[in-house]
Amino acid sequence: MTRALPTSVSAHPAAGSNFEQWVERHLRILMLAPAMLVLLALTIFPSAYMFVAAVTRISPNPDAPWEFAGAQNFLKLLTDSQFHIGLWNTLVFTFAAVSIEFLLGLGLALLLDKYVRRLNLLKTLLMLPMMLPPVAVAITWKLIYEPQFGILNEIMFDLGLPPQAWAGDARLAMLSVIIADVWQWTPFMFLLMLAGLASLPIEPYEAAAIDGASAWRQFRDLTLPFLKPVIAIALLLRIMDALRLFDLVFILTGGGPADRTKTLSLYIYQVAYRFADQSYAAAISLFVLFATVAFSSWFIKRMRLAE
Amino acid sequence: MVRRQFLAMAVALWSLAAVQPAWADITVLVPSGSEGDGLRAAAADYSKLKGTKVEIVQAPYNNVFEQAANAGQSKSGAFDIVLMDDPWIPFFAENGHLEDLTPYFKKAGKDGPDNDFLSKSLALCRNPYDSGPYICLPYVGNAQMFFYDAAKFKEVGVEEPKTWDDVLKAAKALTDKGGGRYFGYVFRGGQGNPVVADFMPLFWSYGANLFDKDRTKVTIDTPEGAAAMKMFMALRDVSPKGVESYNANEVGQALAAGTAASSINWPNWVATFEDPTQSRMVGKISYTGIPAGTKPGSSEIGHWTMGIMTAAKNKQEAFDFMMWATSPEQIKISAERGNPPVRTSTFTDPELTKQDKFRHYPVLMKAIQASTPRPRHPKWPEIENAFGIELSKAVAGTESPEDALKNSQAAVEKITGMK
Amino acid sequence: MLRSRTARVSQEVAAYTGIAIALVITLFPVYWIASNSFKYDIDIFAVPPEWLPVNPTLKHYRAAFIERPFLQYALNSLIIAVSTTVISVVLGTLAGYALARFHYPGRWRHQISFWILSTRMMPPIVTIIPLYLAFNYLNMLNTKPAVVIAYTAFNLPFATWMMKSYFQDLPVELEEAAMVDGDTRWGAFLRMALPLARPGLAATAIFCLITSWNEFLLALILTLTERSQTLPIGIAGRVTQYHTYWGEISAAGFFSCIPIMIFAFIVQKHLVRGLSFGAVKG
Repeated sequence: MTRALPTSVSAHPAAGSNFEQWVERHLRILMLAPAMLVLLALTIFPSAYMFVAAVTRISPNPDAPWEFAGAQNFLKLLTDSQFHIGLWNTLVFTFAAVSIEFLLGLGLALLLDKYVRRLNLLKTLLMLPMMLPPVAVAITWKLIYEPQFGILNEIMFDLGLPPQAWAGDARLAMLSVIIADVWQWTPFMFLLMLAGLASLPIEPYEAAAIDGASAWRQFRDLTLPFLKPVIAIALLLRIMDALRLFDLVFILTGGGPADRTKTLSLYIYQVAYRFADQSYAAAISLFVLFATVAFSSWFIKRMRLAE
Repeated sequence: MVRRQFLAMAVALWSLAAVQPAWADITVLVPSGSEGDGLRAAAADYSKLKGTKVEIVQAPYNNVFEQAANAGQSKSGAFDIVLMDDPWIPFFAENGHLEDLTPYFKKAGKDGPDNDFLSKSLALCRNPYDSGPYICLPYVGNAQMFFYDAAKFKEVGVEEPKTWDDVLKAAKALTDKGGGRYFGYVFRGGQGNPVVADFMPLFWSYGANLFDKDRTKVTIDTPEGAAAMKMFMALRDVSPKGVESYNANEVGQALAAGTAASSINWPNWVATFEDPTQSRMVGKISYTGIPAGTKPGSSEIGHWTMGIMTAAKNKQEAFDFMMWATSPEQIKISAERGNPPVRTSTFTDPELTKQDKFRHYPVLMKAIQASTPRPRHPKWPEIENAFGIELSKAVAGTESPEDALKNSQAAVEKITGMK
Repeated sequence: MLRSRTARVSQEVAAYTGIAIALVITLFPVYWIASNSFKYDIDIFAVPPEWLPVNPTLKHYRAAFIERPFLQYALNSLIIAVSTTVISVVLGTLAGYALARFHYPGRWRHQISFWILSTRMMPPIVTIIPLYLAFNYLNMLNTKPAVVIAYTAFNLPFATWMMKSYFQDLPVELEEAAMVDGDTRWGAFLRMALPLARPGLAATAIFCLITSWNEFLLALILTLTERSQTLPIGIAGRVTQYHTYWGEISAAGFFSCIPIMIFAFIVQKHLVRGLSFGAVKG
C-alpha cells in the first residue's frame, strides 16, 4: 500500500522565505494543477462539442442552422447494421490481438529474463516494430501480403503450402490485420513484462527452490501474482489503443473485403468525413467513450489497481 | 552558470524553431501526387511572374476531401482554392462551400470559360451538372482507358477488344494458360471507391445507370444491372486471387510486371508502363476506349478541378490565378509535366502528339468525350460507400450477385430517400 | 543426474530457438523495408522476390530527401515529438508524484487518477473537429505548437499514470529521511525522489516520443504544409490516387525508425527497470 507523506506540516523549518513557505503549504495542488489544467483545457471543448453535436443535426452547410435532434442519433445506433458490424469487428480484433500480444509478450519476456539477461542490443532490436510509423507498417504489410508478388506467399510456396490472398480474402482479412498488429505491438507487452520480471524480489524464489517447488508452481504462485499490476496496466493500455484501431485498416484493407475489417474507428471516420455527418459520428463516439470508461473502471476495480 | 545560460539559449532557439507563422497571398489545397506536383510547379512560376505568393498545401489523396470539407464547414478560409476530384463537386457546391464564378467572369468581360476546353470537362464544373453556373475550372483531364497486352490478346485470337465479350474470351484463354501465375484480366476490387470505379464502366456499357433520367428512382436492380453484374463476375473468375483488396496501384503494377494482360486504369499509368525502371512491359501495352457491352462503352470521368472557397480571403487573386493556370499555354506546360490536359488545342498539339509519351492523347480525348460522370449527388460519398460494400461482398463471394444488386438498390434508396 | 542435465540442455536449446524465431519474425519486415528501399520499383515486384537488392540504388532516398521535403518533415517531427515529450514528462511527473504521495480526502486520489486516464479514452476522430475549430479560431492551424498541444492531451494521461505508479514503488522512507535532515518537501522530491525515478522517466519519455513521432490522424488535420507536416503525413502522401511509391515509402519509413532506435539504445539500461511501473508493490 502507498504510504503518503504528511500533508500539513505548516512552516517547515527549512522553508525560508514567505514564498517558499507558501509553495510548501500548497505543494499538492501546485504539482497537480498544471497537468489537470492542461488536460481540462484540452478536453473540455472537445467533449462539450461532442455532447452538443450528438443531440443536434449539424449540416455540412455552414449557413444552415443547427437543429435539435434529441435522441435520434442514438436511436439510429440500434438499427444501423454497419455500426453493429463495426462494433463486432472491433471487439473481435481487440480480444484476439491483445490476448495474442499478451501471451507472446509474456512468453518471450520469461525466456529472455531467464536466458539472456544482459543483451541490451537484443532488447532494442526486439523493440523495433513499435518504433516504426504505423502508416509505414501498414504499407509494408500490404506489400508482404500481396498475393502475386508478396514475400509471404513466396515463403508459403517454399514451404509447400497453398498461397493465400491474405488481406484480399474475406476469410483471412481480419487475421491479416491481427497478424500485422501483433507484430507491431507484441514488443510493447514484452517490454512491460520484462521490466516487471526484472524487479521481482529474489527471496521468495530462493525459499520456493528450497521447498522444491516446480518451475510451473513458481510461475503460478509467485511470478504471476507479483506481475499482476504490470499485466493489468499493460492490458488496459493496449485494450484502449486496440479499441481505436485506425491507421492499419485504413491503409491495409479500407474496411473490406465485404466489410470484414471495418472497425468502429474507421466507421466513425467515414461518417464524420466522407458522409459529413458529424452528429451521428459524435453519437457513435459517445457510445465508444462510455463503453471504454465503463469497461476500464470495471477492470481497474477488478484488478485492484485503484490504490 | 554557463550551463544554465546554454540551456536558456537552447530553449529560446527551440521555441523559435517551433513557432513560425506567416501566410501567402493565395493558398491552394492539392492532393500529393502528380496533379499536386504539377500545380506546385505552376504556382512557383506564377509567383515569379506576377509577384503573387501562391502557397501549395499538399494533403494525401485520401484526405484532401476532409481538409476541404473542414475548411468549408468551419469557414476557416484556410484555403482560397481547392483542387477537387470531380465527384466531390456536388457536395461542396450544394453545401455552399464554393464560390459562384459568374461575377468574376463578368468582371473579366467574359461569359464563361472559352470553348477550347472539352465540353465534358466543362459540364462537370457547373452545378447542377451541365446547366448551372460555373463553380470551378477543369485542370487535369482524366478518364479511364482500357489497357491490354496486344501481343498476348492476338495469341488467343482477339485482335482488338471491342466488346466485353472479346475481353472475357481472351482473358479466359490467357488465365487458363497462365497456370495460376498469369491472368487475362485484373481489376480494382477493394471495398469502397476502387470496386465502384471499375464496376461503373461495365454498368454503363450494359445500359444500366444508378438513377433513371429524371432522378426519381434508383435503377440498380434492373435487367441491365444484372447483365453488367454477370459480366463482372465472369471477369472476376479469370482475375487473380486477392483482387478484393486491389486499388489502381496494384492493378497497374500487375500489368507493369507482366503478370496480367488487361485492365481498366487511369492514363497516368502510360508513363509508368514506358519506364524501364518501373515496368517489364515497355512498348508492349496498348490502350483503347472502354469496350462495349450491349451499348457503346463509356469510361468513368475523373477530372481534377479548381474552385474558390466561399470563405476564401483573396477571391479575385484566386480567380486570376485559376484563369492563368488553365490558359492554353499553362495547360500545355502541365501536360508536359505529366498531367493529362483538358483542352482540345493541347490534345491535338502536334508538338506533343508526335512524342512517344503522348501517343495515347487521341485515345484519351475520345475516352473523355465518351465518358460518363459519376452520379451528381451531394451524398455521392455515402452512396459510393454503400454500393462499394455490396460490390465487395459480391466479389469476395460472401453474397450472391443477385443479392448484391438487391441490397445496393435498397441501400441507395434509403440514402437518397427515393423509392 | 545425467538425465536432468540433458533435460536442461534440451530446455536451453528450445529456449534459444524460441528467441531466435521471435527475433527473425520481428526483424524480417524491418529488413524487408530496408531492402526494398534500395531496389528499383520493378525489382520490388520481382517474381520470385529478391531477398537482397540485386541492382541496388539510392534513387528513393534521393527522391524522398532531396526532391521532396522529407528532411523538413523529419525536423518537424523531431521538434514536435521532443517538445511534446518534455512537456508531458515534466507535467506528468509533477502530477504523478502528487497523486502518489499526498493525502486526499475520500476516494479523490482514485477519482482524479481515473479522470486523467479517461481523457485518453475519447475516440480521437471526433475530437479532431472541435480541435480544428479551436485552433482555427486561435489562428494556429498549420503551426507546430498546435500539434504539440494536441499531442500533449493524449500523452499526458499516460505519463501521469506511469510516473504515479513509479513513485508509489519508491520507498517513502528516503524522502522522510531527507526531510528530517532539514529539506523541504519540494526539496525531497527534487533531490531524493526524482533521481531515483530516473528509470521511470526514461521509460515514460521513450513511449511519449514513439507515440508523438508516429502519430497520424491529428497531424493529418492540423498540419497543412511542410512548415508543420510530420513524417507519417509525408509517408502517407506517397500513396497517391494512381500510384503507391513503395520505394520512397520504404526509404522514409526505414529512416524514420533510426532516431528512435538510437535514443532507445542510449536509454536502454534505464528502460527495463523503469518500465516495471513500480507497480509490483501494488
